[in-house]
Formats: sequence, structure tokens, C-alpha cells
Amino acid sequence: MTTPTKRIAINLCGGYVPGLNTVLTGVVLAANELGWQVVGIRDGFDGLLGPDRYSEGGLFKITLRGVDNLSTGGGAILGNAAGTDPFRVRQVNADNQVQEVDRSGDLIAKINAEKIDAVISVVGPRALSILFKLHRQGLRTVCVPTSVENDVAATHLALGFNSALSFAVDMIERVRQAAQSARKIGVVEVLGEHAGWLALQASIAVCADAVLIPEIPYDLRKVATKFREKIEARRTSGLVVVAEGAVPQDEQQSQTEAVAPKSLKASLSPGATSHRGSHAIEGSGRAAQAVALQLQRLTDQLTYPLVLGPLVRGGPPTAVDRQLGLGYGAAAVRALNENQSGVMVAFQPPELRFVPLAEAINKVRTVPVNSVFVQIARSLGIALGD
Amino acid sequence: MEHSPMTASAPKGIVLNIQHFSTHDGPGMRTTVFLKGCSLRCKWCSNPESIHPKPELAYNLSKCIGKDQCGFCRKECPESAIFNVDSDVKVRINWDLCTNCGKCVAVCPPQALYLFGQEMIVDEVLDEVEQDSSFYRESGGGITLSGGECLLQADFAAGLLAGAHERGINTAIETAFNVPWSHLEKVLPHVDVVLHDHKLTIPERHKKWTGVDNTRILENIKRAYETFPEKTFVARTPLIPGVNDDEEHIRAVLAFIRPYKNVIDCELLPYMRFGESKYGFLGRVYEMRDFNPPTPESLARLRAIIEEAFGRSGQPADVGGTRL
Repeated sequence: MTTPTKRIAINLCGGYVPGLNTVLTGVVLAANELGWQVVGIRDGFDGLLGPDRYSEGGLFKITLRGVDNLSTGGGAILGNAAGTDPFRVRQVNADNQVQEVDRSGDLIAKINAEKIDAVISVVGPRALSILFKLHRQGLRTVCVPTSVENDVAATHLALGFNSALSFAVDMIERVRQAAQSARKIGVVEVLGEHAGWLALQASIAVCADAVLIPEIPYDLRKVATKFREKIEARRTSGLVVVAEGAVPQDEQQSQTEAVAPKSLKASLSPGATSHRGSHAIEGSGRAAQAVALQLQRLTDQLTYPLVLGPLVRGGPPTAVDRQLGLGYGAAAVRALNENQSGVMVAFQPPELRFVPLAEAINKVRTVPVNSVFVQIARSLGIALGD
Repeated sequence: MEHSPMTASAPKGIVLNIQHFSTHDGPGMRTTVFLKGCSLRCKWCSNPESIHPKPELAYNLSKCIGKDQCGFCRKECPESAIFNVDSDVKVRINWDLCTNCGKCVAVCPPQALYLFGQEMIVDEVLDEVEQDSSFYRESGGGITLSGGECLLQADFAAGLLAGAHERGINTAIETAFNVPWSHLEKVLPHVDVVLHDHKLTIPERHKKWTGVDNTRILENIKRAYETFPEKTFVARTPLIPGVNDDEEHIRAVLAFIRPYKNVIDCELLPYMRFGESKYGFLGRVYEMRDFNPPTPESLARLRAIIEEAFGRSGQPADVGGTRL
């Protein structure tokens, strides 16, 4: 069954993750097969809400030729805007007053005026809620999930996670070498406020000595005991991977000022990201510092904290993310062709499925404490601090 | 108590908080009434809960007793904006879905969920303010309207201040002057002391840090000085290290205010991180985490410049405490 869809738009409403251009390519190639036209909206929805800010307009046609040699190495030609929120657009009114204005109706009118039949939005966890609201107001949309923390619900793999993981593994290997030569315990902090996938899978890949994730509150004394067994004259270094959201079992255990106030940290919802799309917990590195200091006291061994943080967001996509991006882009077009709307493309092996947005929002895909990855880590002797 | 019909019929307003025994919001011991809504977005804002013009939901996660024992809020929320992360029993708020309807607040036993701001009428506010009147008499204090930007609710502010005068209470306002002149015309006749900000001198920098440039603000300040020569004005600079804690800015403020005899002082309000935790409660991000309060040395140096400009000697007044 074909639909009247003829002209679709694509935009990037999440933060930067590797592989964004591959989604664009996937959409254009699949749309071309159906004879559809694709336009790109610059910087999330900014291209439509403030077209005068762009010398060539905020909307531009993307042809087959346009994606022919599109770099999959990195970057996003559309421009992304993690802070895009048409429901709260900050602007200065005629009275010189700064206000947050709901321009969602305006946005949908502009989309209709441009004769755009549907929008494919590449989103992070927060923008999912915004697209859900726009869909409720009548926007035809299909979302493509991205997250370097892999915390988007209903999909096994969000775009960007695999690239972030590969880069993290690469970096942590280097930390291990540095730790060995310096005879210290390296403590590496990676992204993961609520979900510890990045920390857990990276620590397995490098066979770290310990991994601390938000899902399993840790007791550093147990980690220290493990270290005492391992560290001896012939092995004088160690490696700990900690997710930024990892918390001690006993709050009293970490009395250092370096720890971010728990109440503040935890009260930020997963939806609360900054304008730049960087992580809600600004000033990353506090988890690594706290763990390094405490571990040094408990093991009498020198430690040093290191933060990968948002570094993992950059760089080129891995082969997995290239396929995923192209697959997600093509699947989003297929969803529209099947007259689906208000859905997110989800990888549920071995299928690519379409999940209603309502089922994907208000959830965080966390690591189940009995998951196979946790079991693998335990089998490998990696301490989880519990 | 009898009050004039004008006060009784004065409009309703959205009040954030009534703070008793304030010592830094004008002369003497004062009662500060914080009104909701602001027309600037200063990055260092220590009252982020005052910015939104309407009552706004806040959530203190540490007080939540969790979905297992409670969970009423999740059932009550008509927008499905309250949810749980699998690894934690405490609820989370999806701020993008929340409409600040406040239905969850009513069913939250530990008051982890609460609303910043409530609608009040003039006499409600003044009755509470008047309870402190004996302190005003002793200390030369009174009522201070603050915010937010208290002049945004001009009718309500004028009603409060006129009502306070009728009750014999001294009045002051704290304002950034970023409102239409018509608001000032309405309110200033009822004000005894005007405490107003001089945040940054250069218009582009003012825009970057507060959201708008200061052309209109400076016009308003000047016009207010000239239109109300009988009023007392105090210029204030919130001192943000690395942003405006330089001699150049202070000297520019002094050059602006010194020609006017009704501007009796220039105060420095050192940057503090008071508001940081409230950003978290409102689901917002605090962008000034790495800023530290100004050093005592830089404060002393800048205060000496002010003392010199006003031809005063000796120990300067406490920072923030208005000299009258």
C-alpha cells in the first residue's frame, strides 16, 4: 500500500554521536527508491523556527548526489541541536523581555506550508519526549534513536553506542599501559548517569579489575580486597572503570568534597540535558576522583583518575554504527511508506521494529543486575563492588 | 483593620515567597516579598525558581519515599510525566511533559514535590508583612519587593506598595529596570528606596550574560533618576568574578550615577552559589558551577574605589547592607 507521502524532512534533534551522516544517507537512498523528495532542516528545528539566521535558508533539498560522497567519517552536515525545544523557544519580545514561548503550533504550520508530509528525527532520550508531544499535535514523525550510553528504551542498540564503546576500549587500553608503567591504579570514568552499559561492556573488553555502574551500588572495601589479592610485586598496577552515575552503597563512605551532591545529581531527570546537549551532570570527573581517592586510602597504592567523558561522542562511526545508521534511515522511510507515524525505529534482534513513541519515553534502558554482561564480568573476575 | 477600597480591590499576583527579617534588601530589618517572573536570564541567577511567571513544579529527590511505599504521584499525573528508572524506587520527572499543574503536589506525603509560587491578593501579603512592623520601627526597615523582576507585575506591585504606605510601612524595591516605562510610572510613586542593578556596562556583554542588551535598562535608570528626584536610589552590581569584577566596570557605574544626588550609594553583591541546588530541583542545568565567589581582596579594592568616589573615608558599610 502506498501513501500520499512525497516530500519528507530529516533533522537531528539529539547531541552529536558518531554516524549521524549515515542515517541521512540511508533516508535519502531509501526515499529515492520510492521517488520521494528529501529536505534537511538545519540544527534540529531551528532551520524552520528561525530561517533568517541561515544565509541559504534553514531548509535545503538533499539530492542523491548530495549524499553520494558524503563523509561517513564524522561530522553532521545538517547540524544538530540537542536543545531544540519548540515548546520553549527563548526569545526577546517587543518589550525587551526574555521569554520562553511555545512555538509548536507555528512549527507545524511551517512544516505544512513547506508541504512536508513527514519528519524523520534523529533523537536522543530527551528529544523523544519532544517529538512525542509534536506527534500528539499532529506531526507525522518517525524517530531514530541515538545515545552513546545506550540508554534509550525499547531498542537494543542506539546509534553511536558501538562507536563510543570502541573508542572507550581503545582509550582504556592506553590507560592500562600508562598505569602499568607508572605502577598505579588507573581509574577511568565514562559516561553513564543511569545506565552502565558503556562502563560494563568496556571493562569486559579490556578485562579491567573492577567496574562500578549505577545499577549496582558499590562498596570500595570489597574492590580493595580484590586488589590486595591481585597486586603484588610482579603486578603493581590496576584498572578500574567507573560510570559517572555510580554510587557507593553507603553514602558515608565517600566523604570527599569531590563527590557531587547526591541529591542534586539524582534529582536531575534523564531528560535534563543542557543546551549544548552535553550531559546533565556538568563538571564530569567527580566519580573518578572520589573512587581514586578512596581506593588509594584503602589499598595504599597510588591511583590516578582519568575522565573520558564526552570525548567518546566524537570521531568516526564503527562498522556496526554505519550499518545501524543506514539501516535506521532506510527503516524510517519504510515506516512512513507503511503509513506509520509517532513511532521509533528499534533494533530488536534480529528485527528492525517500529515502536510507538509512548512506549519509548519515560524509560531508561538500564543494565539488569542479572544480565549476561554482568555474569560475564563476574566470570572474568571483574569486581563489581557488591 | 480598615483599608482603602483601592487596596482591597487591587489585583492578584503570583508570589514566590515572603522572607522575614532580611538585612540585605534595603535599610533596616525588612520583609522581602519575592514576586514571580523575570525578564532577564542572568546565567548566575541565584533564584531560578523566580524566573517562570507562573507557579512551577520542583522536585527534591532526596525526600521521595519511593514507588514501593507511595507512588501516588505517578497515578495522579495526567501527563504521565512521572516515571521510574528500573534501578531506583524514587520517581523521576520528565520535565518536557510536565505542565506544572500541581496535581502531584497534593498527593506527595513527604513534600518531595512542591510548587514554587502561589496566587495571593494584596491584603493577604500585607497582613503577613505587617506582623513584622515592630521590627521595622526599631530598625528603620519595611517591605521590599524583589523577584524575579517585581515590576513585571506592575499593578500588583503598585497595590502592595501603596497598601504598605497606607499602613505606615516604608517601601523598597529590587529591580533590574528591564520593563516598559509605563510599569515604572505606575510603581515608583509608591517606592521610598529603589535598589537597582548595574550588571554589565558593555551592551553586547550584557546580552551574552543576561539575554538582552542594556540600552533600554540604562535609559530607564536615567529617566527614573530624573523623573523622581525625591526618591532614594542605590545602584548595585552583582559581582561575578571574571565577568564584571573589574575596575573598569565599577568606574563606569560610578560615572553613570555620580551626577545624580538622589543616588546615594553603589553596592557590591558578591556572587554566591546559593541557587545551585535549586537548578537541580527544577530540572535545569547550572552553568556556573566552576565560578567561585570573589576574593576578599578584590572586593576590598573595588569597595575602596566606591568609597573614594562618594568622598567617604573609613570602613565601608557591610556589603549588601544599604547605608541610609
